[in-house]
Amino acid sequence: MTSSPIIAENLVRHFGDVQAVKGINLEIKAGEIFGFLGPNGAGKSTAVRMLTTLLRPTSGTARVAGYDVVKDADMVRRSIGVALQDAAIDPLMTGAELLALQAVLYGIPQSLMKKRSDELLERVGLTAAASRRVSTYSGGMRRRLDLALSLIHQPTVLFLDEPTTGLDPMSRLTLWEEVRRLNKEGTTVMLTTQYLEEADQLADRIAIIDHGKIVREGRPVDLKASVGAPTLIIKTHADQEERAKAVLETFGDLRPGAEGALGVGLRGGAAQVTEVVRKLDESGVHVQHLEINEPSLDDVFAEATGYRLEGSDNAPPAGDNGVEEPDKKKKSRRGRK
Amino acid sequence: MTSTTAVLSQTQVTRSPATAVRQTVALAKRSTLELFRQPAIVLPSMIFPLFFAFLGNSSFGRTTSLPGFPKVSSYLQFQLAGTITQGVLFGSVTGAAALATDIENGFFDRLLAAPTSRTGILFGRLAGSVLFGALETAVFIFALLPFGADVSAGIRGIVAMIVSGALISLAVGALMSSVALKTGSSEAVQGTFPLLFILLFFSSAFFPRETMSGVYKTIAGLNPISHLVEGLRALSLEGFTASATARAILVPLAIAIVALFIANRQLRSRLKSH
Repeated sequence: MTSSPIIAENLVRHFGDVQAVKGINLEIKAGEIFGFLGPNGAGKSTAVRMLTTLLRPTSGTARVAGYDVVKDADMVRRSIGVALQDAAIDPLMTGAELLALQAVLYGIPQSLMKKRSDELLERVGLTAAASRRVSTYSGGMRRRLDLALSLIHQPTVLFLDEPTTGLDPMSRLTLWEEVRRLNKEGTTVMLTTQYLEEADQLADRIAIIDHGKIVREGRPVDLKASVGAPTLIIKTHADQEERAKAVLETFGDLRPGAEGALGVGLRGGAAQVTEVVRKLDESGVHVQHLEINEPSLDDVFAEATGYRLEGSDNAPPAGDNGVEEPDKKKKSRRGRK
Repeated sequence: MTSTTAVLSQTQVTRSPATAVRQTVALAKRSTLELFRQPAIVLPSMIFPLFFAFLGNSSFGRTTSLPGFPKVSSYLQFQLAGTITQGVLFGSVTGAAALATDIENGFFDRLLAAPTSRTGILFGRLAGSVLFGALETAVFIFALLPFGADVSAGIRGIVAMIVSGALISLAVGALMSSVALKTGSSEAVQGTFPLLFILLFFSSAFFPRETMSGVYKTIAGLNPISHLVEGLRALSLEGFTASATARAILVPLAIAIVALFIANRQLRSRLKSH
């Protein structure tokens, strides 16, 4: 096995005429938590599906756990754990039954199955619910079971596709803790997320993906530092926006704001706020809302893509990039089990 | 990490024929459990054929005296094979629709992301249908037996009919699974239901071909369902003869082999397109 358990070189995937992933290069080191951050339809899941052997790349190569994802797909599958956003957990089966099935799929000897299942159920706090059908589980319990299923064969590389999407804050924190614990034990984790906070809190390094391309990559702290100046966000009347922009531009580079908001990176720092307000007032701009933010991943994202990930309608709609596969379209229409 | 870490080496998670068999058995267990945990889906394929059998018996009971009608003790004795085929056809659609649902909701991906035997995914699902088909056949025989649906072939004939019912399940299940694998849509699989119903009515399931005439007789002669029904019927009416047993077993077996070939090709095609 090479020192980097996940390596992708110029990975491309087309769906018909649409390029869902447009040449991704990645190198994730052993023991890292790597976050793949982007909105719905950016190409995150398509990239993960290629790395987990579920999709063949149109071109490019990838090695996971030391094996080529196309030529040695079976060895890749044996080496990795996968918890996919769209992979349903059969609601008619119990947690224990699903773990037993998963153990058989990974060829785990009968003599170890029960012990391994019990350990995992305890680990994710589902021992008491083990004999209940999954249809009675909450969303958080299902995700924890999903995580346990992905760990049945003790993989060294774990892929988590949007592990906390749709979860309440408490369940999200519980899952984060578990991911951190796994990572401390030596598991390399690649997770996709559309939550800035999740990427910021969990990932050692992140890559921002937009329209199938990685537009920024690095440690969250470095990426935030690269943005530099704090962002001043204001809201004003629509008919005063042009005047406001003219004023803001004199204090720094304009930054994308959420819907109906204007942003500027203050070159002179937060101390300039008073002066900005005075200038706006002198220009006849009535400020309805004002806030100043230290550089965040959202600023990094906005600078890299031209729109904000959170609270913005400027982001491309889901599937805009054409990454929804034919079967997945039905899923989104029908909902998950 | 845990006490089992050291023993879960990669040599223990390699794929071998024995592992593939274990996987297929585990997946078969899952598909069987799924069927029995959804009585609302399963019961209609048991109840409606019985309802049709009793309705047919009261409506067409006197037709047994028509010229060309085989010698039977009651219409139910004649109808038993049609009832079994009807139930098994619809039960098989349920199993294939479950495969399509697995594709739609992503459970299929869960199986593909693991080192699962690809053929095992298909055969595991079909094994559930086969077991259900065998059970349905037994239920129909024993439910109709007290009302005059005699099986001339006796106990050995009943066993052969159950095997035949299982093989019909395999054949129809594999064909419907091809639709599931091709379309990935449970609606598309369930959409075949009316087509099967029409095929059933244009077969010899309810009347012998000898009493038919014209185009209807020609269609019934070409209809594979007629041949499936008549194999079963031979055991019911003729007794446990070599010819009756061969027809009851070999016809569905031949169709099952062709259907499995088609289903396997569809599976490979789906895997290749991903």
